[in-house]
Formats: sequence, C-alpha cells, structure tokens
Amino acid sequence: MAYHSFLLEPISCHAWNKDRTQIALCPNNHEVHIYRKDGAKWSKVHELKEHNGQVTGIDWAPESNRLVTCGTDRNAYVWTLKGNVWKPTLVILRINRAARCVKWSPKENKFAVGSGSRLISICYFEQENDWWVCKHIKKPIRSTVLSLDWHPNNVLLAAGSCDFKCRIFSAYIKEVEERPSPTPWGSKMPFGELMFESSSSCGWVHSICFSASGSRVAWVSHDSTLCLADAGKKMAVASLCTETLPLLAVTFITENSLVAAGHDCCPMLFTYEESQGALTFGGKLDVPKQSSQRGLTARERFQNLDKKASSDTANATLDTLHKNSISQISVLTGGKDKCSQFCTTGMDGGMSIWDVKVRNPRGPLRLG
Amino acid sequence: DRRRTGEALRAFHTAIRSSPGSSRSQAMKEQAQGTMLKVLTSFKSSEIEQAVNSLDRNGVDLLMKYIYKGFEKPTENSSAILLQWHEKALAVGGLGSIIRVLTARKTV
Repeated sequence: MAYHSFLLEPISCHAWNKDRTQIALCPNNHEVHIYRKDGAKWSKVHELKEHNGQVTGIDWAPESNRLVTCGTDRNAYVWTLKGNVWKPTLVILRINRAARCVKWSPKENKFAVGSGSRLISICYFEQENDWWVCKHIKKPIRSTVLSLDWHPNNVLLAAGSCDFKCRIFSAYIKEVEERPSPTPWGSKMPFGELMFESSSSCGWVHSICFSASGSRVAWVSHDSTLCLADAGKKMAVASLCTETLPLLAVTFITENSLVAAGHDCCPMLFTYEESQGALTFGGKLDVPKQSSQRGLTARERFQNLDKKASSDTANATLDTLHKNSISQISVLTGGKDKCSQFCTTGMDGGMSIWDVKVRNPRGPLRLG
Repeated sequence: DRRRTGEALRAFHTAIRSSPGSSRSQAMKEQAQGTMLKVLTSFKSSEIEQAVNSLDRNGVDLLMKYIYKGFEKPTENSSAILLQWHEKALAVGGLGSIIRVLTARKTV
C-alpha cells in the first residue's frame, strides 16, 4: 500500500481519470485541484475555480474524459478539456439546497446529482438547445440524498438518503436511450419508477454501491450497519450490525466481497455468503505495526487509573495509515468484480492506494 | 450457589426475551426497565462475562440499550454494577453497539 499526504485538511471528494495518472480532488474549499503522477511524486497541474461553495462531489468520465462537479452553491458544472484548459459548463439543477453527490452514468450520456432538496436531478444534454437539462426524481424521498450509484444498464440508479433508506429508481431518459430490457429488479422502468426500497435502518445512508453485475446493491448506514439487497433472492436484504464506528464508504471488489471504511480510519473486508444470505466481517485490512511499548512507572500507572479509570498502556495515537476518518473509496483497477487495487481518501487530507491479493480463486482475500 | 447463578442467568434471558419491542406504553417500558435493572444488579461481578457471552448480537445490542437506560436513572449503587456490565458488553458488541443505542428509533 502507498500513502500520500496531499493536504492538512480533509479531502472533500476525489475522482480518477481513466488511466489513473491524474486525480481530481476538492481540498475542502470551493475549488477542484488536479494532480498528475510524476514518478513517485504528485504535481498539481490544474486548479478549477468556478463553484461558489464547497465542492461536494466530483466524477471523471473515463471515455469522454469530462469532469462533473457539484457543490453547496446548488450548482453542477461539466468540465471539458480544451487544449490544456478545463472549461466549465453550468448545469441548472433547479434545486434550492446544496448538491451532495454526483455520478456519471456508465454510458456517460447522463449524470445524477443528489441534494439536500430531497430529490435527485438526472441531467442529460439536449442537442437542439446545446445545453444540459434535468429531470427530477422526488417521490418518495424524504431527506437529503447522500450517495448515488448507477446500475450497469445505464438506467437504474441506487440512492442512499438521510431518511434512512436505500432506494433504486429508474432514471430512464427516452431522449438519449432505448427502452431498457428487464432486469432482476423489475421490467417496467418509466422515469422515476421506484424499483426497490429498503425498510428503515436507523441511520443516514452514507454510501451505496451496485455490484458489477448490478444484481446486488450494498449500503452503509450511520447506525454502524452494512446491508445488502440481492435481486437474485427476490430482493432479500442481509444486514450486519458491525462492532465498529459508522462506515462512510463502501464498494464491491468482487461479486461476493465488499470493502468499507469510515470513522475507524481503516478499510475493512466483508463477505456475502449467497446460500445463507448472510454478511460476515472479514477483518481490518490495515494491520498496524506494533509500536514498541515501554514500561510505565508506578506514578504513570496511577495517573492513568485516576484520569482514565484504566491502567491500559495503549497509547492515544492511531496506528492506522489514515489518521482520520476515511470518507471515500474508489476502485482503481480490476473493476467491481475483480478489483486488484482501490483508493481511499479521508479527513486527514491523505490518499492511500491498497492492493488486493487473491491467494487462490476460492480462498480469502488478502491485502498487500 | 450454582443454583443461584443459574436462576440469575435464566431471569436475565427472560428479561431480554420479553423486552417490549414496539410497545408504545410508557408504563410497560418502565416496568421492563425496572425488571432488567433488578436482574442486572443481582449478578455477582464474576458472573457478568458469562451472561454477556450467552447472548447473540441482537441480545448484546438490547443489553447495551438497557445499560444506558439504567445510567439515565441512577439509583444507589446501580452505576457501579452497570459499569461492569458496560465493560463486558462493550468487549463483545464493540463501539457499534453503543452507536446503535444512540441511533435507535425504538427505545427500550
């Protein structure tokens, strides 16, 4: 694994270009900075300044090489590279609260924005008028949409919200695509159709992710749970109450394994056992190096007992790579079905790249 | 003495099992809280760990809710024994079980 400290402040969000040589990130302000890998170093090559509020979401379309950003200024911009300059195009989202997350669709002809206006804006390009328009998905969302993920069929969209629910909607736009064929989530997919809604967990849904095939969707909530809905089992939901602090980001790395991370500052592995319909914790992927423990004097022991009611010699510094909560995970290589590398960014301003090694195809996953 | 331990354990499981899940009645909830507190305080320190280990994940979460409820309304000496229960429940349920006490929509 490799760790790079970009900032002393949180990285609000990040996105990688197609060949993973450049990373676009928001350094906790109104801008987007793009860094390019130069051997072992990272050099800042672009600064994108257009938003009037913090940039809350960035997504980089791999094929068309366009960026889309959204922010608390209630706007989204699509950025195109002209020569060596990124040129923004404003997209009117018609929302009256902050935008919180944005994702390009797999075919890159649409993108979805989740916001505090309790709706999702599905944006597509209208050729005749030469600009981006959007349609809203509102019902039955009751609170801020925190996270979005597209199904590989370019139509279905999963949304995690502060009303404690995970939902799958149809974001079918007849102007830009053909009618979709039936999926395990349903066959009729008019725009805005609710295909799946989870029963309430007790926490805001921070992150949501479709598996590579699209037949499974997983989400993490603020009540320290991880849930997975399996369309192949009539949308049965498996959930796991974890022993950790709430997780903030989750992704599939194979059809049956997930990596999630959050306020415990380290990525963790989870496995879905299809036959039993159960999720299990597979261990933390960040093995802290054993710091040498010097003995405590009697006076220090007494002070510990007095102050902390414990004579535990564990020190107060974090042994994990990230020194603060991890807020985002992205798959770097291998896709969501055979991920061999993923990236985490967090509130410590750092970015870490993790290798996933598969010892044998049916054996447990290990971290390199 | 082993019989007394066995009875305490049985009373414990009964209290856990008969917790009024979605009851709206405040009176029922308070009665359950009172019963649970009595059971928890009747345990000897050395018996707590075994009792906690006999619970499943949902049971540990439920126990943690009752422990915090007990903290809310302390009686003479109740906090001391509750802190011991807390230590053992935390070892099994982790911080996640405490998070779920804070985020629960249905309180005990």
